[in-house]
Amino acid sequence: MSHPRTHPEPAPVPAKPPSRTRRGRSASDSAGSGRATFWHSLHAEWVKIRTMRSTLWVILGALAFAVGLAALNGSSAGDEYADLSPADQAAFDPLETSLMGYLVAQIAFGLLGGLVMTSEYGARTIVPTLTSVPQRARVLGSKALVLVAVALPVGIVVSLGGFLVGQASLSGAGAPHLALSDGVALRGVFGGGVYLALAALFGLALGAVIRSTTATVTTLFGAMLIVQAFAPALPGALGDWVSKFWPPIAGGQIITAVRDPDVLGPWAGLGVMAGCVAALLAVAFVVFRKRDA
Amino acid sequence: MIEVRGLTKRYGDVLAVDDLTFGVRAGEVTGFLGPNGAGKSTTLRMVLGLDAASSGTATVRGRPYSAQPAPLKAVGALLDPGAVLPSRTAFHHLLALAAGNGIPRGRVSQVLAEVGLEKVARRRAGTFSLGMRQRLGIAAALLGDPPVLVFDEPLNGLDPEGIVWIRSLMRGMAAEGRVVLMSSHLMSEMELTADHLIVVGRGKLIADTTMKDFIEAHSEREVLVRTPQAETLRPLLAGAAGVRAEGNDTLVVTGLEAAAIGALAAAVEVELHELSPRQVSLERAFMDLTRDAVEYQAEKETNR
Repeated sequence: MSHPRTHPEPAPVPAKPPSRTRRGRSASDSAGSGRATFWHSLHAEWVKIRTMRSTLWVILGALAFAVGLAALNGSSAGDEYADLSPADQAAFDPLETSLMGYLVAQIAFGLLGGLVMTSEYGARTIVPTLTSVPQRARVLGSKALVLVAVALPVGIVVSLGGFLVGQASLSGAGAPHLALSDGVALRGVFGGGVYLALAALFGLALGAVIRSTTATVTTLFGAMLIVQAFAPALPGALGDWVSKFWPPIAGGQIITAVRDPDVLGPWAGLGVMAGCVAALLAVAFVVFRKRDA
Repeated sequence: MIEVRGLTKRYGDVLAVDDLTFGVRAGEVTGFLGPNGAGKSTTLRMVLGLDAASSGTATVRGRPYSAQPAPLKAVGALLDPGAVLPSRTAFHHLLALAAGNGIPRGRVSQVLAEVGLEKVARRRAGTFSLGMRQRLGIAAALLGDPPVLVFDEPLNGLDPEGIVWIRSLMRGMAAEGRVVLMSSHLMSEMELTADHLIVVGRGKLIADTTMKDFIEAHSEREVLVRTPQAETLRPLLAGAAGVRAEGNDTLVVTGLEAAAIGALAAAVEVELHELSPRQVSLERAFMDLTRDAVEYQAEKETNR
């Protein structure tokens, strides 16, 4: 450390006999002592997620989109409100109008979750990761916890941002709007955050099974946007079933304030999404444990 | 100590590793040698718990890798020097690995200094040259100050400086009493580094021997004799050894030590200008040994 070296390419260092005496005592006490625990693995995953570049971009992107869409959606829906029929006015949902940005934000969160696994396969760091922590369940479990610790608060902030900006622009356009103190608003904002955290876990599970970033993103788009867009076009009973039970669609009900009898309620819908994510994570655990790294 | 017992890895019909049994001792550098596709990397991956064995066991100090209380403090491994997230700094790459085993932060700076990367610790690893990545990989292996080190093809693609560095590092680690296992597909790399050799071909064990025995068993030693009286000396030697002439005044003798040849020449008062033992290259010996085991052999051998 003491000799200054300005050239970026390191000069060869002679294999100096390492500074400390070590043979003769057990090796485990020479570099810190003790057994590696789940807590250590959690710490490792925390270091990784906060030093992964994409984490910041994904968060900023989701936030910008949610807020931007809420502003646009709020002002245009607000402008059209006066021209709606009384029936449509009764069905007007200011909460959903402000939180529609979740459609894009969920992809961003899913991507973040996916990258937590796929970046390891892309850069092949899965090898050092698993030589450091060979317990696969511990690795995936810590990844999931750390991901939730990031995605849940950020998800709530994203929802809150969309809500505040959306309601402000609805109010500016003279349409009905909500205050954060309304029960339904709090449910939408917090539930929306929970939904986004679930989307991140959804991505994590996909990433663990698929291992490729591109394929994971494609699957996310398919599951979260394409199915959503085409559900109404599906024939009869199938279309109704998909619109009601397809997990991302069902989970999305958490941001609605006006009940539609044809779809699940907000909490029941979020429950379906959570169940689906739990099932996918279970598959991911099994696959991750069984497969060669 | 690394103990491998009946280790087998099967991919469908292909046996990548076929009933391998060997042990690796402390205090010496053990070379794990075999042609490409011989199953070296697969074996090391099974030792490190990355791939599951189809059958057999691999243990380090009596336990499977996954049962080590703190794996990095038991085994340091360099498998793939490119395995770094390009946007992550060298420091954070190591910090995450260290954290997973409860190794203190200070140790990260310490190993970075030990491999000569302290000046670039905060640089993104994506900007590193191959040699620097290799150093980073070595730093990762040293994090836990482990008594066992496993290096898969550590010299691949390195410049001569890097090769000398890693070689002396491995020798130094062995001299401290550690287990050092290093794989390579080049005998020339082993010759200067390893004390013990484990040779595999097509997943099977071909040889498990000290380097010294290997050299003695597999290299025919020849003695070059240069003398103006070659014609006088030749018939005398031919009785006890193989002799062939190389030019007018040079004989190549096999099967007789230099001292014996010198004594014989002195006895008949033959003047010697040169009397030098020389060795057939080990690369040649290695190729002969694994000839049948090379997975994709050139259709026609061009020499010999």
